[in-house]
Amino acid sequence: MDYQFPRELFSSFYNCGPPDSTLKHCAGHWGSYDRVGLQGGSGPHSNCTGTFTSRHQVRGERWRHTEPVPIPLFNPKKSFLWPSAPPDPLDFTEHMQNFFIDHCQDAFGCMSEILGDHIYSKKGLKGNQQRHAGLPRKIKRFIDMLNLPVCHQSYSSRSVQAYSALLSDVLPDVPAELLGSLLYEELTEQRDSLLFSEAATGGALDFIPFSHCGDFQRGCLIYPGNQGRDRLNFRTVELEHHRDKCFSVNSSISEPFSFQLKGPIRQISSASLFNDCCVAVRSDHLCGVWRCSERDQPRLLQVVNTREAATCISVSPHVLGEVLVASESGTANLWTVGKGIQKVHKDDSNLYFNAKSSWRWCEFSAHPRVVLYADRTGAELCDIRVSPASIHTLFRISNTTQCRSGERLIFCRYLGSTHPFHHILTTQHSAYIMDERFPCLPMLKLDHMMQFPPMFCHVLPGVSSPGPTGGVCRTTKVVLGSQSSQEITLLQYSGGRAEACVRHGPPRALLRPCDGLKHLPVQIPHRMDTAANRLSSPAAGLTCIQKSEGNGASRECFCVLQLTEAGDVFYQILEHEGSDTSLAPATEDEPQPQQTAKVLPPQWTLDNGTESGRDSSSSHCLAQTDSQLVVPDTSSDEDVIRPTQGSTLPTLIPETPRSKLQDDASSETGSEELETQKKGQKLKRLNLHVRVNDDPAGEDRKKNKTDDPEHPAGNQETTSNLTSTVQQTSVKLSEAAVILWKRWLQKLMLISHKKKPRPQHPHHLTLNSCGLLCLSRDKMRELSEEAHVTNVRRQLRACMSNHSLLVRSTVPSDSTDILPFPDQVDTEAWKDGLSQRLTLSWQGEEMWRAWWEDRLGLNNDKKMDALRKKRRREREAKRAAGPRLDLSGSFTSSVSYQSDVDNFSDFTGWSSGVSQGARSDTEGTEMLSQSEDLVESGVPEGRTPTMLLTESTFPTPSATPPHGKNTQDNLGTPSSSKVYTELKTVQLEFTPSSQRRSKRPGDHYLSSLFGSQESRKLHLHCPASRMVPLSMTTTSWMRATRSSTRFHPWPTRRSATAPSLCPPPRLHWGGRGHNQRRRSHGWAFDFGSQYCTASWFLVDFFKRKKMDRIFFHLFMITLTKDIVTSSRHGNRILIFNGQAFF
Amino acid sequence: MTMDDLEHELWPPVQLEDCTDSSDNTSAKERKKPRLPLADSFFVETKRETGFHRSTRLCLERIREAMLHHRWQEAAEYMAWYPQMIEDTTAGSGHHYKEIIWRMSTEILHHHPNSKMDDYNVIYERIKHSGVKHYLMICLEHSFHLMLHGQMENAKRHLSIAESWRHGKESACQIQMTKLIQAYKSLLDFIIWSDKKNAPSSTNITDPQSSQDLHNYFRQASVNLKEILKYPGVWDTFILSYVEMLEFNEDYQEAEKVLQDYAYDNTFPSNPNAHAYLFRYLQRHNASKRKLMNVLKILHKLVPSHELMLDYSSFLLVSEKKSNTKKALGILLDMLDYACWRTSMDVWGGLKYVIDKLQLQEDWTEVVAEKMSARKGWWPALHFTRFHATEDAEQRHQLMEVKASLAEILCPDIKLTYSAVQTINGDR
Repeated sequence: MDYQFPRELFSSFYNCGPPDSTLKHCAGHWGSYDRVGLQGGSGPHSNCTGTFTSRHQVRGERWRHTEPVPIPLFNPKKSFLWPSAPPDPLDFTEHMQNFFIDHCQDAFGCMSEILGDHIYSKKGLKGNQQRHAGLPRKIKRFIDMLNLPVCHQSYSSRSVQAYSALLSDVLPDVPAELLGSLLYEELTEQRDSLLFSEAATGGALDFIPFSHCGDFQRGCLIYPGNQGRDRLNFRTVELEHHRDKCFSVNSSISEPFSFQLKGPIRQISSASLFNDCCVAVRSDHLCGVWRCSERDQPRLLQVVNTREAATCISVSPHVLGEVLVASESGTANLWTVGKGIQKVHKDDSNLYFNAKSSWRWCEFSAHPRVVLYADRTGAELCDIRVSPASIHTLFRISNTTQCRSGERLIFCRYLGSTHPFHHILTTQHSAYIMDERFPCLPMLKLDHMMQFPPMFCHVLPGVSSPGPTGGVCRTTKVVLGSQSSQEITLLQYSGGRAEACVRHGPPRALLRPCDGLKHLPVQIPHRMDTAANRLSSPAAGLTCIQKSEGNGASRECFCVLQLTEAGDVFYQILEHEGSDTSLAPATEDEPQPQQTAKVLPPQWTLDNGTESGRDSSSSHCLAQTDSQLVVPDTSSDEDVIRPTQGSTLPTLIPETPRSKLQDDASSETGSEELETQKKGQKLKRLNLHVRVNDDPAGEDRKKNKTDDPEHPAGNQETTSNLTSTVQQTSVKLSEAAVILWKRWLQKLMLISHKKKPRPQHPHHLTLNSCGLLCLSRDKMRELSEEAHVTNVRRQLRACMSNHSLLVRSTVPSDSTDILPFPDQVDTEAWKDGLSQRLTLSWQGEEMWRAWWEDRLGLNNDKKMDALRKKRRREREAKRAAGPRLDLSGSFTSSVSYQSDVDNFSDFTGWSSGVSQGARSDTEGTEMLSQSEDLVESGVPEGRTPTMLLTESTFPTPSATPPHGKNTQDNLGTPSSSKVYTELKTVQLEFTPSSQRRSKRPGDHYLSSLFGSQESRKLHLHCPASRMVPLSMTTTSWMRATRSSTRFHPWPTRRSATAPSLCPPPRLHWGGRGHNQRRRSHGWAFDFGSQYCTASWFLVDFFKRKKMDRIFFHLFMITLTKDIVTSSRHGNRILIFNGQAFF
Repeated sequence: MTMDDLEHELWPPVQLEDCTDSSDNTSAKERKKPRLPLADSFFVETKRETGFHRSTRLCLERIREAMLHHRWQEAAEYMAWYPQMIEDTTAGSGHHYKEIIWRMSTEILHHHPNSKMDDYNVIYERIKHSGVKHYLMICLEHSFHLMLHGQMENAKRHLSIAESWRHGKESACQIQMTKLIQAYKSLLDFIIWSDKKNAPSSTNITDPQSSQDLHNYFRQASVNLKEILKYPGVWDTFILSYVEMLEFNEDYQEAEKVLQDYAYDNTFPSNPNAHAYLFRYLQRHNASKRKLMNVLKILHKLVPSHELMLDYSSFLLVSEKKSNTKKALGILLDMLDYACWRTSMDVWGGLKYVIDKLQLQEDWTEVVAEKMSARKGWWPALHFTRFHATEDAEQRHQLMEVKASLAEILCPDIKLTYSAVQTINGDR
């Protein structure tokens, strides 16, 4: 009576509008009855007896696993395994590294072209360039060393690190920012697809049952094979039932019949009519239809290519050869194989609201010309007889009662075989049974309680007709499978015809392959890893084999097959063990499980132990009371791999070290019995351990037992069949299964070893161990201080208890505590300008300011006045002394003074005359300033380095400022390249000249300098170490390092006489276009003594309009690992070897 | 430090349970919606997790795992420990835990061999009174439990208590729950009414006492039943009870109005039962053919496969109008589109009758062709393949004859293998 509609539905409210409730607990629908209705109430209720029936029936059918683990159906094949853990998008340094290595041409192509000439020595290279010819070899060697993917730390190369620090933002063709964001996107996508890959919806595993004979249910299993899952296999399998044994699936009936496809198989859909079957296969852009039957070999009928990725394929259960194909573009096509394709539905957007999803689905419905079209927001029925199709809503997230906010449709399927009007729709929280005659309101809502959304589904129709087994109505069973977590859940419901739909029992989680290993004998770790990895690959499909009714007295069973992405098929068989409805309610006389639970059997099985202690229920014990000795079982399993029985499995490798040990032992003693005894003892010892864990639970149960002495009277729902409860959980791994698994695992190991051969030589892992074993001085001091403090505390406590005083003599004074007073700095010994300045600054700001004024020439006027006065006096004296005037001399001198004045008024920052007394030629200050006029003249990298050295001969007025020269130099360099390769600039460095760089008035500079100086006290403490500007071009740096012996790029120690002179490197601003014009850099530092009294550097950054601010840009770096802070416009600037600089 | 501060320091602020559902909304909005349609994980370690929280979380995980694998004994053992979660004052949202405890323990009791009625009552009562949020829901479930176990009086008592319960601002959810509680209470009243009516003692209807009693129950029941029918939803049980009582009191007008509203109110979901009830009611009360046909006409639009369509077609055939025969043809063909009617002798027989009747008319071929034009492409494959023929020949011989005779008429242009098989079989 398929056409019947339930006479009375359970009452419910019909709420429209978006759902606003969120699921806040993990308990789903547990415990609730979810409405009741009057039983048998059709038409007038006049004769109703007031018996109710609930929408959620407490009890469902009981199905028992025949094995506690799923069994592999086929031998393991080679497969490519994706990492099981999704990549973390935030951790992309590693991925960047991979990118650089794998796609170095894309990453560095252009820059390596440009730089190649300079890095690799050519014949024609001259001068300084030749000196660097050795470097690439170093780099090459370094990179060769890096080839071993071992500890990178051990292969450090200073120069390479310097290069990487210098060039890291220059070299990549794709800017790091862009690459980073692209990579992030990609990683996010990858993670998403690992968590939830919607392409797999529907599942790529199917079973076509053939007619059955006797106790066998034979059929054709369709599954993808091959490494890329691109081979379609048809294979006859058989669900057998042996009288003595339990069920098993036999896959060795025939060889598979297979077809090679062009892409991975995503979904297999099949439908059979009159023993003729139509199989449709979807891969991303290809869909094909095969036809097969019990007698005929499968043959390909037609293949179509879809422009957009196909998201769904479904075969018509009404007319053979009709297939629906939906694609990401939102079109649904009815494909009549061999005849043509008709567009059924087109929808650019999502149906009911914007879910930002391009997933589409379509299914057939009860009417052959009404198709169900679904996306994440709901499903609608399109009548395609009329054009455009008339549409009405079947399911809509917002109209369905008790939808949660954020709930989305994951998958739907037409349940033609179960009920001609029913569809099942799954969301991440529930599965809804919809009747298309009553749209919008679900007939039933089943909470599946899975953690990942169910994407695969198989529905086993319930048998409503009285069969030979006693006319029991079987529930319809819904088996849902999720992808990434391999979860399988069994739900049961009944009704839908004359009676309203009713769900039975709570959801039941079935076995997962990834949980299987703990039931199996223990493996050695690396095999365990391989096996676990393989077993936990995401599920890719699900199907069931149902043994049909009417096969005599044999027990009912069904088999759930699950395909993983590694290409393995696992099956688990569930046997029916009678539901409460069919069994008489338990009487109170029946033995309680607690009574048996108290008696723990002497042999506790190993697999129970490994199954984890929480499987502590009484059930196990009861099962073991029939004295199935498990110890011989496990030992006999080991026999399989014994060399003496090599005929059965000649090539297999020994399973575990333990078994190997035992093999050895047996060969030594030559007595197998002894060995089993030994093993038995061992196991017993293990068992004891397990029992200890379980004892408290048993006691608890005893207590419970005393509390609940009897069953509720007259409560049919709660009385239960104890034996069934007990049996259900007491599934023991059978011997055959263990052997099967063992073989499977061994073959897996063989494959995985074949796949990646053992490396010829082990990787030598070298670690820098120096410094690891001895504590650093700081640490030592800390420790000793700590010890000291605790010591003092202890003594203080002792003194307090003795009412005595703690005096110094009692405290053991630590000599290391007293720090030596540093020597006073002999200011006379430091004659360079910087030292002078620093010394002066101790005497107060006035002095310091005066020094600066002096230095910058702000007091030039005064000086000139003084000079003029002096000359006037001299002249007067001369006049007085002699009658003749040397006019020309005075004229020239006055001119030169005049030019000096001009100079001074324009000069950016440096003046002379101060360091006249300081006859040190080693002090170097340099300034890299950018002159406006150069920028205006159109030089892109208008950073003209000017070098100003205070020489002993200073001031020497120079009539020819090196303007033009610099400009020429700059123009001479290729402007597109960011590399500055001129030598002359370097040579300039030692041209003792004061140069006219800019028109900025010096007092502005000074005031700004003061301003900044006042705000932060410039006290640098620099340990003797090395500093390098962060970004500067290779060549200039190399030149800087080599052009002059005076340059000590890494002034490790200050020489006794003079501080090192640092090179004026050309700073480089790789890739960053902004602010280029306004930056000018100079840098200088020198190093103090061991105690580093001072170091000074200056990088100025002028903003033309804002003269009151100076931005200090520091780009400093060391070549040692522990660098490094470069800071921009900051007061606190840099941390260097762990010490802070202002 | 002032006194207030001290108090504040000493006593952690008590989490006031909010009695509205607004918290659901805010939390949903605050959380960034995931792009993937994944369910939220409930077992996430939070940042400020104490040891207690950790162990309760793990415990809950274990319980859930055990329950999903139907290891009830294990779950019960863990469950004995879990309820101390209620005592935790730092967890802001205590009501989740209460609901979890209630749901899980009830489910465990459902399956545990030693559960008894008292255990249920304890759980229901405890959790019911431990928070206001779930009071109504648990009350309803509790009374369901009692109803299912035949304790009508008890259930009714619980429902009456819950009926008058008010707390805080009435949310939409709470209103609906109250209405349901009232309706179920009225349903119990109806059952009592029905029992009294059918009881042998009430054969003497003239007895004023018993009739007064009956009327009282009717009044009690009808108020709430009538009330809930105003809300859009599925109220099959309630409306049947209400109509039955109205019929008994001979308030036919009200009964028909109620059924009409239930069927034709647009705010209600399109429940096929509503139309069926109306039809049957009208049929019971000998309504005119026109009225009945109107009901069926609307039903046909909604559910062309409904079993009442057989009645509809026969109604149409009885009427003398010419166009009605055509309509009947359409209705029967529509039914045959659906999988469930494809092998029904009734429909095929009806179709044959209609065709026979049509053939009396002159333009019958056009009429048939018009109805079949849309089906030409797929009807042969749906009904008249060789496979259908062999199967029908094996299982439904009578049907086969009817189908074979109709095949040529319905699909005249197409060469069908169905009839050929039939002739072979016939020869045999």
